[in-house]
Amino acid sequence: MFELLGAGLAGMLQLKYLAPLAIGALVGVVGGAIPGITITMTVIVVLPFTFGLEPLQGLAAMIGVYVGGETGGLIASCLLGIPGKPSAVATTFDGFPMARKGEPGRAIWLGIWASIFGGLLGAIVLIAATEPLARFALQFGPWEYFSLFILALSMVAGLVESSLAKGLASGALGCVVTILGNDPVLGRERLTLGIPWLEGGIPFLPVLIGVFAFAQIMSDVEKMGGAASAEQALDRGVSLAVSHARVLWDILSRPFVLLWCSFIGLVIGVLPAIGGSAANMLAWDQAKKFSRHPEKFGTGIPEGIIASESSNNANVAGSLVTIMAFGIPGDAVTAVMLGALTVHGIQSGPLFISQNAQIAYGMFAAYILAHAIVLAILLLGVRWMLRIVVVPRSILFPVVLVLCTVGAYALGNAMASVYVLLVFGVAGYAMVKVGFPLAPFILGVILGDQIEVNLIRALMTNPDPWLFLTRPISGLLLGAAVLSIAAALWQHHRQRRRMAAAGAGDADF
Amino acid sequence: MIGRDGWAGLVVLAASLVLFALTLRLEDSPLVPIGPGFYPRIVLGATALLAAWMVLADLLAARRAAPRAARVRRNYALVWLMFAAFGLYVGTLAYLGFRIATLLYVAAVNALLDRPRGARGWARVAVVALATTAAVYVVFERELSVLLPRGRWTDF
Repeated sequence: MFELLGAGLAGMLQLKYLAPLAIGALVGVVGGAIPGITITMTVIVVLPFTFGLEPLQGLAAMIGVYVGGETGGLIASCLLGIPGKPSAVATTFDGFPMARKGEPGRAIWLGIWASIFGGLLGAIVLIAATEPLARFALQFGPWEYFSLFILALSMVAGLVESSLAKGLASGALGCVVTILGNDPVLGRERLTLGIPWLEGGIPFLPVLIGVFAFAQIMSDVEKMGGAASAEQALDRGVSLAVSHARVLWDILSRPFVLLWCSFIGLVIGVLPAIGGSAANMLAWDQAKKFSRHPEKFGTGIPEGIIASESSNNANVAGSLVTIMAFGIPGDAVTAVMLGALTVHGIQSGPLFISQNAQIAYGMFAAYILAHAIVLAILLLGVRWMLRIVVVPRSILFPVVLVLCTVGAYALGNAMASVYVLLVFGVAGYAMVKVGFPLAPFILGVILGDQIEVNLIRALMTNPDPWLFLTRPISGLLLGAAVLSIAAALWQHHRQRRRMAAAGAGDADF
Repeated sequence: MIGRDGWAGLVVLAASLVLFALTLRLEDSPLVPIGPGFYPRIVLGATALLAAWMVLADLLAARRAAPRAARVRRNYALVWLMFAAFGLYVGTLAYLGFRIATLLYVAAVNALLDRPRGARGWARVAVVALATTAAVYVVFERELSVLLPRGRWTDF
């Protein structure tokens, strides 16, 4: 393992890999720093540039974007009080008050160093756990894969706060997308609805690009012309000078917060399609619960920033574990990576590491090196970020949408993917307006074909449906799926009762 | 009174039932005992049930309706215009070609999102549109060998 990792690191230090990694990290930091531009959107924008590259070059660029974006997002959180991305929301709670108290440099660098430590702690688990997990997954037959994918869908749907029914329906709608156009078992046309560009089935990358890019951009467009712009809120003369020794001491003197919150980030990253937005909130909440002075959280204390930032960078490692060991995306960014792998004809899943050891260990190496590159970028250019966070949306949005179009078109040099992009752009925005969560939908789109193939394969091997329950691993996974839905039902019920009780209390007064 | 979730549930229910009916026309293959309609029927059946659950939950929630939160003003007209501009862009790409369609699209969206005032404003629109189109064309067509769409009407 260490030999392969050493070879991966040496390979990644070659200019042909280092350059895309560094450019990706820079683009990620910039994208993460701009409020309203999520890491998913940044990686979608970078995707078409990777089609002409070698697989590892493209993946290195995407890993750079991922790590850079997670770190860059804290800049807007601390300086503007506006999260640069959903996974930096909790950073705002303590980062912005600390900056307003006259310590913006300390707030930013606490976040940057905590991100680096969290990310590197995650790297240890990524490297140590991925191969054993993939080896374990090699024992899976079609029954186990089917059950694993059902568990992934049920977990994501169950974590939706607003409504379990909507979460599950959203996942089911994602699967509906995969039944249109093409039967993955026989490769025959099916349910094309008379639309010619549906005949080959619906490719998932334009769906993903359309849903995420339009949902985000149009939600921002809705709010344009109202609130004060970021430019007005930013003091460009602010000093970010800081003693790095003091910041490092701030972090290392709180080892429990750093380790526990990195662990939380990792675990959430491993769970399919949840991502850093949940990790940073949960980590901040946990740090507060375990603190001797919870009342100080939200007033600008280091623990709050360390908790949020260490967890969201460790979350990246967790997401990479899931995609590399099981072929299930840990979040939207790894879903795009999965698409990039498919474009290059590489099958992700348990065989990925053994069949593509050079790429797998190259990805580990890229992940480790990305942290050093991001640190160097921010040491050299954090002041420039003050300008970047205020780039006008009127320039950003058309550029992003043109790149999304090119990305969709370049998949097969055909307009069909662009039409898919448009249709699912409208659908994605409509789903957001109606309150359908996007994560289960996208997971359904990605896993739908695999669920069908494994279901059919299992039933053709042995038509006894009870095998899904009686085979130990499959039964355990399906049991866990039922438990996760039951837990979500109980949680929603409890939340409703609490809200009803709070409503009654308000009425009494 | 049916609410937003209820209407969404009804739309999903109707769509899944229509698609379910279409799966009944799919012919089985002599090679594979499980036909191409087997899995779609499971998925569409589950979707229809979940949609019905959404409608029911919405009707039940309407009975214990909570007071409405204060509405935030949203610029939906701008969203519609953005979608219309993108629809036009996608529709004209094959006819005008990437370079002309993109130039017009970027200029239109830039002007929509930040109304140009005076000659300087229009100059900004022109610069953004030209720079974006040129940069994307050079990077993708020249450097990454992606053959971007040529226009049927313009051959450009």
